[in-house]
Amino acid sequence: MLLEVFLVLGTVVIYFLLSRKEEATLLPLKEGWWGKGQKPDTEEDKTIRPFKVETTEEELSDLFRRLDQARFTEPLENSRFHYGTNSKYLRKVVSYWKNQFNWKKQVEVLNKYPQFKTKIQGIDVHFVHVKPPCLPEGQSAKPLLMVHGWPGSFYEFYKIIPLLTDPASHGLSGEHVFEVICPSIPGYGFSEAPHKKGFDSVSAASVFYELMLRLGFNEFYAQGGDAGWLICTNLAQIAPSQVKGLHLNLALVTKMGVIHLLSVLLGRYLPGLFGFQDEDVKRMFPFLQKGLYKSLVESGYAHIQATKPDTVGCGLNDSPVGLAAYILEKFSTWTDPEFRDLEDGGLERKFSLDDLLTNIMIYWVSGCMVSSMRFYKEALQNGLGTQKHDKLTVQVPTGIASFPNEIMHTPQAWAQKKYINIVSFHFMPRGGHFAALEEPELLAEDILQFVGKVEKEQLWRKKGE
Amino acid sequence: RSFEYSQKNAVLIPVAALGIGGILLYWLRSRHKIKTIEMGDGWWGSGERPLKGKEDESIRPFKIETSDKEIEDLHRRLEQARYAQPLEGAAFDYGFNSNYLQKVVAYWRNQFDWRKQVEVLNKYPHFQTTIEGIDIHFIHVKPSYVPHGRAVKPLLMVHGWPGSFYEFYKIIPLLTEPARHGLNEADVVFEIICPSIPGYGFSEAPHQKGFDSIATARIFHKLMNRLGFKEYYLQGGDWGSRITTNMAQMLPQSVKGLHLNLVFTGLGGLRNMLSVLVGAYVPWLVGFTREDVRRMYPFIQKNFYQILQESGYLHIQATKPDTAGCGVNDSPVGLAAYILEKFSTWTDKSFLHKENGGLESKYTLDELLTNVMIYWVTASIVSSMRYYKENISKDPGLSTDARIGVHVPTGIAAFPQEIMHTPPVWAKKIFRNIITYSYMPRGGHFAAFEEPRLLAEDIIHFVRKVEKL
Repeated sequence: MLLEVFLVLGTVVIYFLLSRKEEATLLPLKEGWWGKGQKPDTEEDKTIRPFKVETTEEELSDLFRRLDQARFTEPLENSRFHYGTNSKYLRKVVSYWKNQFNWKKQVEVLNKYPQFKTKIQGIDVHFVHVKPPCLPEGQSAKPLLMVHGWPGSFYEFYKIIPLLTDPASHGLSGEHVFEVICPSIPGYGFSEAPHKKGFDSVSAASVFYELMLRLGFNEFYAQGGDAGWLICTNLAQIAPSQVKGLHLNLALVTKMGVIHLLSVLLGRYLPGLFGFQDEDVKRMFPFLQKGLYKSLVESGYAHIQATKPDTVGCGLNDSPVGLAAYILEKFSTWTDPEFRDLEDGGLERKFSLDDLLTNIMIYWVSGCMVSSMRFYKEALQNGLGTQKHDKLTVQVPTGIASFPNEIMHTPQAWAQKKYINIVSFHFMPRGGHFAALEEPELLAEDILQFVGKVEKEQLWRKKGE
Repeated sequence: RSFEYSQKNAVLIPVAALGIGGILLYWLRSRHKIKTIEMGDGWWGSGERPLKGKEDESIRPFKIETSDKEIEDLHRRLEQARYAQPLEGAAFDYGFNSNYLQKVVAYWRNQFDWRKQVEVLNKYPHFQTTIEGIDIHFIHVKPSYVPHGRAVKPLLMVHGWPGSFYEFYKIIPLLTEPARHGLNEADVVFEIICPSIPGYGFSEAPHQKGFDSIATARIFHKLMNRLGFKEYYLQGGDWGSRITTNMAQMLPQSVKGLHLNLVFTGLGGLRNMLSVLVGAYVPWLVGFTREDVRRMYPFIQKNFYQILQESGYLHIQATKPDTAGCGVNDSPVGLAAYILEKFSTWTDKSFLHKENGGLESKYTLDELLTNVMIYWVTASIVSSMRYYKENISKDPGLSTDARIGVHVPTGIAAFPQEIMHTPPVWAKKIFRNIITYSYMPRGGHFAAFEEPRLLAEDIIHFVRKVEKL
């Protein structure tokens, strides 16, 4: 026992001595070519082509055939959602999917916003581009790039887009109005999947940077959660002079130091010493249970996706029911961990089956589950916190909306080590991981107030020059 | 006066002698008293355990069957399979390569003959019997010819995941009729019992939570008892190793010998970590042999990184088995990719870099697909995955209880391509009575399937040593 204690202390001391301060240099743009085979000599086609989601009778009948032949396994008695998605509830979802869900109608819903495709670094990138319906005199729309994550899609933003392009009509302050660009991460939805190894978050950020330039934007805001958090962070690190502000609803710590270890051990008793607020303590402790144990129980998917994406994705790309089970489990547990105690995973308390199934259908009709999972391997295969971007800070003005049921809570004290220019940090009253879909008003309000602060600061600076 | 003194002594001394003798005897006895795992009891059927009536203990013959409907359904699913293009140059680095998978599926659809394979499976006698509320499936193979005067040794062989009783089909004849197969140690002959772990293959899946290796160990003891055996040998790898080890810890008096091709020592704690660090420079100081060193170092890369690389399935199955298993129970192609990835990587780690995963260099597609079909036709993949959650949530380190230890004669066959190498010096901490420890010349995790001869030879060699004792 004593030996263990000494070793831990020794490691702590050595680590402390060896750890270096964060650097404040630029993250280089990652040039790449992700198309099939060899990069052609000809110049890339840079046109932006309109795109519409389509479906066919064949696609639908194939789906129904698979739903009809689905094989389920009885859940253990009283297991609810503790062993994963409960197949009794899954049967109900599949029944709705077959009999009530109307994919043709949902395709029309998807097509209500203008969508486009353009080739960047060898692959077709899909995006939604929504301009404000009416701009007040003298006001200009601020470009806002919103990036989704896994297992989400551009569709997650469909409720929040109108609140940002036309806030006044929705009871929000009309001071700032946005034109919103929601791309699909390459390998997700209607964006082509990279054909080469190595497409990580920095690659995605570089592609989106090119996209924004191609759309004619010199300055823009970026918003993201889940993978979108990482991609937007990298974007802010690549092009700090172009990213006016970075808004996040997730901000994980990837580089842990001695301070983190100490604050986990002692933060409950000396919160002030580590910069913890009451709400931080409430959300983080007891740490063993809420931090360590929870992340172990909930990270199996990340582990297998970061190592064997092609294996785990194979069955999911062939069985829509398996795909639904896999994705719905996250929409349940990541919205509220207590939903694991419910027979139906609490899914319909916060989302409609139509919304949930539309998101799943995007993965199904595009056949992108495997490529979406590869993103984890590309990002994590060298270990957590080992990449160059993990070691660099973010100087761009940052706003963080901290939702109570987010998978892991990051206190401001930890976030500001990386995001050194935090302009706003708010504890949201309710909501989980899929903030834009679950609590669009709360998220929109926070984005608006954040942008308000950034714009005021800029104006003040300009006046001062 | 001296008479009184001698009278007192005449009483005192024998009493004292008895007392001390008694204490001595008790101390000697308690030192040899082996601690065991509690047997306990269980009920795994649906609903409440019936209060009245005794459990049906009959042993019913069983035959695997198939139908046109089953085969047509399979073919339809194989034909409609959707594949994702692999990344350029990925081989098996990202998991099962879908280009090679398409070739496997083409064979499966057009050449693989399930009816013929069912006949192969039925060549050994199958049975089912109800224990603790669920149907337990097993095969029971007796030697067709017993040399005069030889006793036949009962041997229980337990499979693991993602294997099945079928893994033993090649080794069974080598153990029931060694002489006929050119094995020299012809004075040891076995009758083999291979059960399916509840939740796997043709054994019913438990309906209640909590079914772990200890419950399995107890059920298999009951099975052997029901078959009329009082003493028997055990053999296992993967989960089979854990189950047979638990059996040896539960009822040591029934276990004549325990043979393992995988040893669970967990991470071994800090002391093992230290001996790894020190052992890199002075292996003899921590008791590592040269072969140990060859198999274990460079440790960080070989073991720690490799374990992380290869344990994603374990992590997700130990936490969300119903989610992980759902799609693969509905897509035979997904099931094949998931299972066969293990048959590739766990047979030889270098197979990761081959476009075809090296599968057909060690196995035939017929045998690989027969194993996959067992999971498919019984729809047992989800329940097989739950076994990880039930065991690992109780014991995350997957160690063997060292306080109880294992005292029955033990034989260990260490195959070079096994997922993790356990040096004898570590195994000795738990297995207190190791009779044989063999560094096998070749072979990986699925020893019985891949190198049946080598494994059979080692089992026979071990049992001969135990019997001569």
